[in-house]
Amino acid sequence: MKHACTPILIAVCASLCGAVTTPTKHDVPAPPRNVGVFAERGEIGRRIAAAKEGATIEIGPGVYREHIRIDKRVTLIGRPGAVIDGAGSGDIVEIAAAGVTLRGFTVRNTGIDLEQENAAIRVLAADAVIEDNVLDDVLFGIDLRSAPGGVVRGNRIGGKDLDIARRGDGLRLWRSDGALIEHNTLHDGRDAILWYSSGITVRGNRSDNCRYGLHLMFSDDVVIENNALEGNSVGLYLMYSSGVEITGNKFVRNRGPSGYGIGLKEADRFSVRDNLFTGNRVGVYLDGSPFTTKQPGVFTKNILAFNDIGVMFLPSARGNEFFENNFIDNIDQVSVAGRGSLDGNRFWRGERGNFWSDYTGYDRDRDGVGDFVHESRTLFESMTDRNPQMRLFLFSPAQQAIEFIGRALPAVRPEAKFEDEVPLMTPVDIAFSSESSSANGIALGATSVGLLGLGAGVLLGARKEGIS
Amino acid sequence: MTSAALRLGAASDGLPAEGRAPGMMTNIVTIAGRELRESVRARWFVLYTVAFAVLGLAISMVSAAATGGSGLASFGRTTAGLINLVLLVVPLMALTAGAGAIASDRERGMLQYLLAQPVSRLEVLLGKYFGLAGALLACICLGLGTCAAVLALKGMGTKPSGVLWLAGLSFLLALSMLSLGILISTLARRASVAVGTSVFAWLTLVFVTDLGLMAGAIALRLRIEQLFALSLANPLQVFKMWSLHAADASLDVLGPAGLYATEEFGNRLHWIFGVCMMAWIVVPLAIGAVVMSRRSPV
Repeated sequence: MKHACTPILIAVCASLCGAVTTPTKHDVPAPPRNVGVFAERGEIGRRIAAAKEGATIEIGPGVYREHIRIDKRVTLIGRPGAVIDGAGSGDIVEIAAAGVTLRGFTVRNTGIDLEQENAAIRVLAADAVIEDNVLDDVLFGIDLRSAPGGVVRGNRIGGKDLDIARRGDGLRLWRSDGALIEHNTLHDGRDAILWYSSGITVRGNRSDNCRYGLHLMFSDDVVIENNALEGNSVGLYLMYSSGVEITGNKFVRNRGPSGYGIGLKEADRFSVRDNLFTGNRVGVYLDGSPFTTKQPGVFTKNILAFNDIGVMFLPSARGNEFFENNFIDNIDQVSVAGRGSLDGNRFWRGERGNFWSDYTGYDRDRDGVGDFVHESRTLFESMTDRNPQMRLFLFSPAQQAIEFIGRALPAVRPEAKFEDEVPLMTPVDIAFSSESSSANGIALGATSVGLLGLGAGVLLGARKEGIS
Repeated sequence: MTSAALRLGAASDGLPAEGRAPGMMTNIVTIAGRELRESVRARWFVLYTVAFAVLGLAISMVSAAATGGSGLASFGRTTAGLINLVLLVVPLMALTAGAGAIASDRERGMLQYLLAQPVSRLEVLLGKYFGLAGALLACICLGLGTCAAVLALKGMGTKPSGVLWLAGLSFLLALSMLSLGILISTLARRASVAVGTSVFAWLTLVFVTDLGLMAGAIALRLRIEQLFALSLANPLQVFKMWSLHAADASLDVLGPAGLYATEEFGNRLHWIFGVCMMAWIVVPLAIGAVVMSRRSPV
């Protein structure tokens, strides 16, 4: 049984990895080729042309159908109702001078040419501030190319209603160091992606229904905090990046063929603290991370709850430390793809392990740490780790039968997948607002009353009829 | 029993002298009423209902305790545990109830007595079917209603729609297993044989087919689409997948095969599962009706 399944497993793993790791066709972007659209000036274009260096230009409400190239240091402010409409062609705003501020506009309706990478706002110069704009129906949203020191704040970026393969990136940084990305909302786009951009802070953003909520490629020393990445294919993916701090983020319902809350591929010097992972296909996916094992990958004070798989390791992932995390009711708390082992990773630091909702031991000396080692060795899990298609039989009594056999017959008992020598008895207190609303509780209560009433009604009806 | 039969007789007596005038529906309703009345007083019904409710209660309490009242909930072990419970208890209950329905009456001569009344065999069969279905509905509603009450009190984020879907689909599962039970009942010579056969059928559906399919999938290296198609043959798997699909609009929790089903069929899965379930409800009952019409009631 064990041998027959190996090729299937390898094939599945290979296709899985392939789907995730194959670089998308981002090559070095060519210089903008659609300069032509900026040749004809509209009203905003003329005002910029007339303005002095350093001037502030305010634009009143109205729909401006034009493509704008900003080639001097100005502050361009849209009053409420100022809309720049690209009429479905090309880029819309191009910033070619350093120190430009663009604030308060609605920018909509770019072209849909993926080759040309039609963008709502393209920044080609340093120190731009792109603030409080609403981007709607755009292929690429904000695209910083070799534009260091930019600030992208408080924008709302909505993609086009296209198949995911034909969408563009809501936010993209290319060799743009030291940028600050905060409080933006992205929806229905492809990725928010950092290429070769270091020293970036990404804070308080939201992303939903995109492909990658946030994707780092070769980007070092990045701080990612308090973002909410929900309902994407992948929440956050770190590839070949080093020195990343991931703190206080929410990764919720990132599902689909990849479906990771966080994926880490050959990342280094990273720490993951105080995050919430819930409802993802895989909460944390580790592939070859940390890349150099000089410094452990640190995961602490995270909540991993109700994911299909809490943490998934590829055999290449070694040197991670998990401590003081809450593992709550993940169908598979920790999974190792293939026949790998978790030897190189640790589930405690010092005297503190993690909280496991499936821990069966007790704490007689009341020091908050369980008296027995927590080890995971269910036969069904080890089957599904090797044969993912066996997950089809999850939640069925046959699964229980197999687990019972695994417990009852030492001969087929799998080896412990991992051990936590100092499991915690109670969940670590981690501040996250409760997701459940009281409205849900009331609705659930009403459902309960309805069901009980129906059942009791049938019973009473039957008995009453009997008496008469 | 006797008084119920007498009442049935009395009801018929009160009707016009032209014989079969009360019509099929009236007869079915009368027989169903009698069957329901007897069921809800029977020991098996009380035992199953209490067991179902208590186990459901335990699952809800344990999962509420495990989350520490954090209120976070996606598709967690609560729903999984409830599905598991339904898969174990509901088919057993429905199969044994159905198996006892005809065979025990035949053994005691009740069937002969009943058919001496102006009712057809089909009416007896359908009447018993609907009566037992009512009892099963009551049991499922009470059991899952108790669970929902606990989850609501503990502030769990379980979706009410999920609970309703689970209740409805459990009822469909009960109907299909009841059909199978009735078929066994019409075929069996004695009540004990019928109940024994139904328990065997339960074991087969709950454990043997799944375990066989697992082993087969590994040994024969079934492709995921074959695996999915084969799993549709088992009404228990259909119930499980349908519940998951209704709760989450995706089967990706079931790994590659589930992902394949979701991507290939999307929302048409509701129809696929529905057709499979209907087949399991209608076909055994129809065969049972044919068998019943051909066999002597003694």
